[in-house]
Amino acid sequence: MMRSRKVKIVTVYLLTIFFLLFFNFLLPRLLPGDAILAMYSGSEILVTEEMYSELVKLHGLDRPLHEQFITYLIQLAHGDLGYSYIAHASTTDLIMNALPWTLLLVFTSFILSAASGIVLGVESSWRRGGRIDKLLLVFMLLIDGIPSIAIGILFLTIFSLYCGWFPTAGAVTPYSNLVGLAYLWDMLLHLALPLATLTLSQIPGDYLLIRNSMVLTICEPFVLTARAKGLKKYKIKYFHAARNAILPFFTRIGIRLAYVITGVLFIETIFAYPGLGLLTYEAISNRDLPLMQGILTVSVLLVLLINILIDLLYKKIDPRVEYAY
Amino acid sequence: MTGIKQKLILSLIICLCMFSSTAGAVAEKEIRISDKTGDWGHPSPYLAYSRGPGYIRMHFIFDTLVWKNETPDIMPLLAEEWEYISEENTYVFNLVKNAKWHDGEPVTARDVAFTIEYMKEHPYGWVVLNSVDRAEAIDEHTVKIYMSNPYAPFMEDIGGTMPILPEHIWKDVENPMDYVEPGAFIGSGPFKYIDFNKEHGTYQYEAFDEYYLGKPFVDSLIFVKNGDTQMALQRGEADFAPITPEMVETFREDGFTVIAGPHYWNKKLMINHNKEPLDNIVFRQALAYAIDQDEFVDKSLRGHGKAASYGLISSESLWAGPDVPDYPYDPDRAKELITSLGYEWKNNIFTKNGEPLKLDVLRSMIGIGGQTIPDRDSEILKNQLEKVGIQINLISLEPKIVDNKVINWEFELAISGHGGIGGDPKILYDMTVQVPETKASPNTARYNKSEELNRLLDDLIHEMDPAKRREAVFEAQNIYARELPAISLYYPTGYYAYDPDAGVEWFYTVGGVSKGIPIPQNKLALIRPNAQKSADMEEISETAMQTEKPASKTPITPSSAVFAILSAFYIKRSKRSGRII
Repeated sequence: MMRSRKVKIVTVYLLTIFFLLFFNFLLPRLLPGDAILAMYSGSEILVTEEMYSELVKLHGLDRPLHEQFITYLIQLAHGDLGYSYIAHASTTDLIMNALPWTLLLVFTSFILSAASGIVLGVESSWRRGGRIDKLLLVFMLLIDGIPSIAIGILFLTIFSLYCGWFPTAGAVTPYSNLVGLAYLWDMLLHLALPLATLTLSQIPGDYLLIRNSMVLTICEPFVLTARAKGLKKYKIKYFHAARNAILPFFTRIGIRLAYVITGVLFIETIFAYPGLGLLTYEAISNRDLPLMQGILTVSVLLVLLINILIDLLYKKIDPRVEYAY
Repeated sequence: MTGIKQKLILSLIICLCMFSSTAGAVAEKEIRISDKTGDWGHPSPYLAYSRGPGYIRMHFIFDTLVWKNETPDIMPLLAEEWEYISEENTYVFNLVKNAKWHDGEPVTARDVAFTIEYMKEHPYGWVVLNSVDRAEAIDEHTVKIYMSNPYAPFMEDIGGTMPILPEHIWKDVENPMDYVEPGAFIGSGPFKYIDFNKEHGTYQYEAFDEYYLGKPFVDSLIFVKNGDTQMALQRGEADFAPITPEMVETFREDGFTVIAGPHYWNKKLMINHNKEPLDNIVFRQALAYAIDQDEFVDKSLRGHGKAASYGLISSESLWAGPDVPDYPYDPDRAKELITSLGYEWKNNIFTKNGEPLKLDVLRSMIGIGGQTIPDRDSEILKNQLEKVGIQINLISLEPKIVDNKVINWEFELAISGHGGIGGDPKILYDMTVQVPETKASPNTARYNKSEELNRLLDDLIHEMDPAKRREAVFEAQNIYARELPAISLYYPTGYYAYDPDAGVEWFYTVGGVSKGIPIPQNKLALIRPNAQKSADMEEISETAMQTEKPASKTPITPSSAVFAILSAFYIKRSKRSGRII
C-alpha cells in the first residue's frame, strides 16, 4: 500500500520532469521568426549566406526536430545544458555564475519576509480589531498595492542617490581588489537595497495569509484549552495557534518560490544585480536558444526540488497528512 | 605574551604604513564608463556582439589599418600611408614600423594579409570581403590588397573597420566562434585586455606601454553596468555615461560636460511596395505629405531630435545631397494625390469600389542598438494618416516578430529603425536593394523598381573617382526621396555626460566610429589629453604622464580590510598562546 503510493509519486514527478523538459525544448523554438536572424536584429550588419549557414550548423538547427531533442536529452543527462553562441560560453557556466546571486537574494529575502510576516501576522491577529492590527493591515495592503519595481526605484533614489549610503548597481564593486571582510561588507552593501525591495514586496502576502489563518485558529477549542491550562501568552500564540495556522503558508511556499524567481527579474534589472532573472531577460531579448532552454530547465528543476522538499517536510510539520490516505 | 602582542601590533602598523604609501605611489589614472546593458560579449572580434557597443569594447584592444576622428578625413593608424593603384585595382598600405602586439611580437604586413585571408574563410559580420580577391605582404611593412571588383567604400568599410589579427595566434584557430583563450584578446591597440565578466557586465583594460602612438594617458579603463547610469554618474561610480534628454540641464549645472550626438540613427516607416495601393509612387508620396515629421520630434522625442531627410542618408552626413526632394506637411496635397488615384472622399474616409482605404501598421518597441524603448510613434502616425482619410489598424508586436513579418512581406506599413546613416553612403545601397549573397534584412526596402536608382547605387559601390561617386550618391538620394521605398521619420538626439575633471575629452566621431557607430567612445580620446586635441600625438603622450591623480579614492576600505584580517589573526593567535600558558 505504502510502496505503491511511493511508486506513484515518483512516476508523477518523472512524468512532470519529462513534459517540462519537452516544453522547455519546444517553446523557444516555437517563437515566431528565424532564430539566427533575430540575433542580428537591430544591428547594422548584413548577414551573409555564408555566415547564416555556419550559424545554423553551429546551433544544430539544420537537423530534424526529434534529433535535436534527443541530443538535448543526452547532453542534459551529462549535466551539459548546451553552448551559447551569443555569449560564447557554456550555458551551464553562465547559469552557475548567476544562480548563487539569485539564491542569495531569494533565500535571504524569503527567510526575512517569512519571519517578519509570521511574527507580524500572529501579533496582528492576536490584537484583531485593535489599533495596531488596523494600522498594520492598512500599511500592508498599501505595500501590497505598490509594484516591487516602484519600491525599488524609490529605494534607489532615496538611499542611494540622496543619502548615498548604498551603491546603485551590481553585486560587488567591479575591480576594487577588495579581500576578506571588506569584500563581504561590499557585497552586503550591494545586496541591501535589492534585498530590502524583494523582502518588502513579499511581506504583505505572508502577513495576510498568516493573519487570516490565525484568526480562524484562535477560535479553535484547543486554543481555549491552552489558555485554560494557564500557559504563557507567547506559548499559546506561537507553539499552539501559530503552529497550526502556519500550514497553509507552507503549502504556498512552492508556488511562491516559482513566482519569486520570475518576480526577481524586475528587481535584478533595476539594480543590475547579476542573477538568473537578468540572465533570463538577456537570453530572451538576444534570442539565445540554448541559454533560454538552460535557464528554464534549471528553474523548473529548482521549483520541483523545492516541491519535493516541502512534500517531505510537510509530514514533519503536520503529522496528520501521514494518515490522511 | 606581551612580546608577541607588541610584535604583532608593530607589524600591523608597518603593514598599514606600507599599504598607504604604495597607494600613494601608484598614482593610476582610471576611467569608468557606465552603461545599462553591461554585457556586450568578450572584447575580441569574433566574440563581441554584433552591435555598436560590442565593437566599441573590442576596438580598444584591436587596431585597424586606418581610423576616423572628429574631422572629415580618414587618418592613419596601423597604416601610415596608403595608395590606390587604379590600373591594377589594388590598395597598397605602408604600415608603421614600431607597432607591436600585446605579447611583444612586431606587427607586420603578413598579419594584415593573414587577417584578410582568415576573414574570407571565416566570415566576420562587420566586414564583407566579397570584393577583395587576395592580399600579399610585399615586405615586412608593405601589404598589397588585390580587389576583384572596384570597391569604393573600401577605406571606411574595410580599412577602417577590419580589426587586424596576429597571425602567430590565429593561424591555429579553426573555429573563431569557439576561441575564448587568452590569445583571442591579443591585439595591437592602445589597451590590453585584463578582464571581462559577463555576469557582472564589466570590462577591464590596461594601457599598453609600447603602443606605437604613445602610451595612453589613462592607465586603466573600466566598463561597468548600472541600472541607472545617471545615478552612477552623480554618485561618482562612473566618469562617463549616457543620459536622458531631460537631465541635460541638471548635469550641466552640476559641472558635467554634456555632449549631444550627431544624427546617425533614423526611425523609419517600412512600406510593402509590392502591395496595392502602396506599390504606387504617388500613393507613397501622399503618405509623405500626410506625415508631419515635426510632430514626431515634438511629441515622441519631446523636442530632442530632428526631422529626417527623405533620402535616407542623414542630413548631417558628409554625403547628404544638397537638394533632396522634401515633403513639407500638407494634408490637402496628400488628399489631392489620393483622389487622383481614383479614391472617393466619403465621411472623412477614402473609399474605392465601396471599400474603405485601410492600412495595417506594425508597431514595436524598437530603439537604438536593438534596445527596447516605449513606442510613442504609432499613435501619432495613426492620427496623421486618419486625418487624410486612411483608416489605420495598429498591431503591436515584439520587435523580432515585426522584423520577421517585414522580411516575409507579411505587412503593409511597419515602424522600424536603424543606424549607420552618417558613415559611408554604402548604407543607401544596403538599405535599398537586396545585397547579393546576404540574407534579407528587416531594414532593407528591397526595392528593385527603378533602373536608374539601381544604376546609381551600382556606381555608389564601384565608382572609384571620388567626384563622380559623390554625384552618384547625391542623385541616388534624389531618386530615393522621389520614389520613397521607405520613409525616414526622424533622428533622435542622444546625450552623454562626463566629468571633465577626469581629464578625458570625449568626442563623437564624424560619420560614427568605424562603420558608423554613433557612440562617443573613440579610443583616440584616451591617447591624447584634452588640452591639445589637435596637436601632434607623440608630443602629447609625454606630457600625459604628468596629469595623473591618485586612483585609490578611499584607501580606508582596503586598509580596513588589512586591519580586519590582521586583527582576526591576532585574536586567534593570542587565544592559542593563552592556552599554552
